[in-house]
Amino acid sequence: MTFTWSWERANVAASLWCIAVGLVMLALWLAEPAALAAAHPGLFNMKFNAALTFVVLGVSLWLVAAGRRKLPALMMVPVFIYGALALAQHVLTIDAGIDTLLNTPFVDIGTSQPGRIAPNTALCFILMSIAIARRALRGKNDIVQVALGFATFIIAAAALVGYAISLDFAHDWIRFTRMSVQSASCFVALAVAIVFVGTEKTGYNRLTIAAILGLLTYLILLAMAYYELARYENTFGITFTINGINARSTLSSLVLISGALYGALIVHLYFSSRQARAMAADLAESRGRLAAIIDNAVDGIITIDQHGIIQSVNDACTRIFGYEPEEMIGCNVKMLMPEPYHSAHDGYLGNYHRTSEAKIIGIGREVEGRRKDGVIFPLDLAVAKVELNGATIYSGIVRDISERKANERALIEANAELEEFAYRTSHDLRSPIASSLGLLGISKDMLAEGNTPALGQMLQRMEVNFRRLDHLIQNIITVTRTRLMEEDEGPIKLRVLVAEAIDALSHLDDFKRIRIENHVPAELTIVSKPSKFQVIVGNMLSNAVKYHDPKEAEPAIDVRAFRYGGRLRLSVEDNGLGVPPASRHLLFKMFKRLHPNRSFGSGLGLYILRKSAEALGGTALYEARDKGSRFMIDLPDGD
Amino acid sequence: MKIHSILVVDDDENDQFICEYTIRKFDPSIRILKAFDGTEALDILRQEETPDAIILDINMPVMNGFEFLDRYAEEFEQHAPVVAMLTSSHLGKDRERAMQYSFVKSYFEKPLQSDHLHIMAELLGHKGP
Repeated sequence: MTFTWSWERANVAASLWCIAVGLVMLALWLAEPAALAAAHPGLFNMKFNAALTFVVLGVSLWLVAAGRRKLPALMMVPVFIYGALALAQHVLTIDAGIDTLLNTPFVDIGTSQPGRIAPNTALCFILMSIAIARRALRGKNDIVQVALGFATFIIAAAALVGYAISLDFAHDWIRFTRMSVQSASCFVALAVAIVFVGTEKTGYNRLTIAAILGLLTYLILLAMAYYELARYENTFGITFTINGINARSTLSSLVLISGALYGALIVHLYFSSRQARAMAADLAESRGRLAAIIDNAVDGIITIDQHGIIQSVNDACTRIFGYEPEEMIGCNVKMLMPEPYHSAHDGYLGNYHRTSEAKIIGIGREVEGRRKDGVIFPLDLAVAKVELNGATIYSGIVRDISERKANERALIEANAELEEFAYRTSHDLRSPIASSLGLLGISKDMLAEGNTPALGQMLQRMEVNFRRLDHLIQNIITVTRTRLMEEDEGPIKLRVLVAEAIDALSHLDDFKRIRIENHVPAELTIVSKPSKFQVIVGNMLSNAVKYHDPKEAEPAIDVRAFRYGGRLRLSVEDNGLGVPPASRHLLFKMFKRLHPNRSFGSGLGLYILRKSAEALGGTALYEARDKGSRFMIDLPDGD
Repeated sequence: MKIHSILVVDDDENDQFICEYTIRKFDPSIRILKAFDGTEALDILRQEETPDAIILDINMPVMNGFEFLDRYAEEFEQHAPVVAMLTSSHLGKDRERAMQYSFVKSYFEKPLQSDHLHIMAELLGHKGP
């Protein structure tokens, strides 16, 4: 973008230059400063007509750059006609009367006729008028314009260089009529603008065009120099003869051959520089691509030297270890390792260098990494040895596997729990059935013996078995539901929910003996999953009722709830049997019955309580009281 | 060989009843000792003469069958000649684990039947008085 813009500026600069030069010369011609003309006759090589034409050319090029079309094209018509007439005067040796039409020159310098422009100037006017008209009409660059600009440039540049090296023929195509320095500079500026502005649309490389232009100008100058040399030799009749060989050709040929060699060398340099540039671009591109791949890799990539000094790290390393790249590069890689690797790593490297026995290189394994904040985390590490220009470096690919490990652990735990669950259910499901089968066998015996009164007792025992079985199955359903059921959260009025749970227990034996008090504030509302919450409250209350102390004079249960530190705690306190210290570690575990003589529970109650609390993102807790127990759940409090 | 005394360790009252009935029917002269969990069983064993046989449930609260076996192996030099496991289900590795104890001779599935008692009597016979 910037590049194009600067070339657009070149266009404006060229037009400004032409206008400025043209206007100054017009002024000079009109002012007729005789003293100046005497002191600097070369200044007046540029004729009045030429100055005017350059102003026209400059203005039209500006208009083209400003996006105008018809006007600049029309302006080129008189320029073309003037150029053609001026050239015709030289070629046909006629006088069309145009040289002094607008201004009669007060001096007559560097020309065959007063006010007449040189043939090369005239030719360049023709070429430029066509090029600018074409540019104006087409609105863009093309091959014809480039070719015209090319020719103009070569003619003008040769003239300029001719002045510099005093090679007259370069600006004087015809004796006494020369292209002035000012004109040559204006033509060079115009030609550069024509050739190089908008070149990208023609598909030509600017650099290539510039190189060809330079080379052609050089070759033309060379040819002119050869021609001049030959002319002087002829004119002055100088002949260099050594041993009968015409030395003129030797000297001239030397000029030509050395020039050609020089040209060839330039061409060679040009092509090899182009090649080098292309290779450098390729290299930069492939390096950039590689760097992009490495930097965008999900895994951390670290390289270290033989002494364990970190040489490079990618962006992922910063994410994984928390260090900025500059904090790692140049340090020993053991900074990223916790003990015992931290202290042992230098030893590992030393061992490997001595024995070449790889413990990790080329193998890869799970290790531990240490973050900047000191946190140690599991890491998958793969190390490869890289031989590079005689030096050995090691590249390590690291992947933070904390999440995977946590998932694995959770999966193993869940699996173990499920296995335990399957084992215990199969056992506890069959237990009442096996018992009932035994009782059935005994009943048959009794029936055969006619011992009918005893049969009633058998039926009662069997009923107990089936009730147990039913209770167990109900609990299993609850567990499964806690595990699987998706439930939406909703606002729960805690006091109402507790009151309902208390009512639901009224069928239990001993219910009437126990004082149950609901201290939950009426306004307390929590956003949670209602049916899981019901399971929790029901469980806590029924446990408190079942395990009350029958010897206690005033068995009591108190239900409380309060908010603290962004959480909600619900507690159920009793003055019941409590949990013996030896059994407390079994609380909340699956199939653990802590009061076997008191109740035929399934051993799942507290397990269900814990699982339900966990499903709500909370925890279940136990505290022993002086007399009795306090079971609590802590839940996250959304509002 | 005749069984003189059996200790039944089971937390389930119905299972205790079935065991008692089946043993009585098998041989009314056998002395039956009852324990409802491992700790009770150890208490009885400490006080009484070593019984000829022990029928042991695995899943019990407070002290389960395996915990009892550990303590029994550790604490007592002389063990009952026949210890038979009696459990609701064959599932799991319980059988393997139980059979590792030298004094565990049999592994039965509930309910207890007279056949089981025949086997135990035979095992007692092999052992010799």
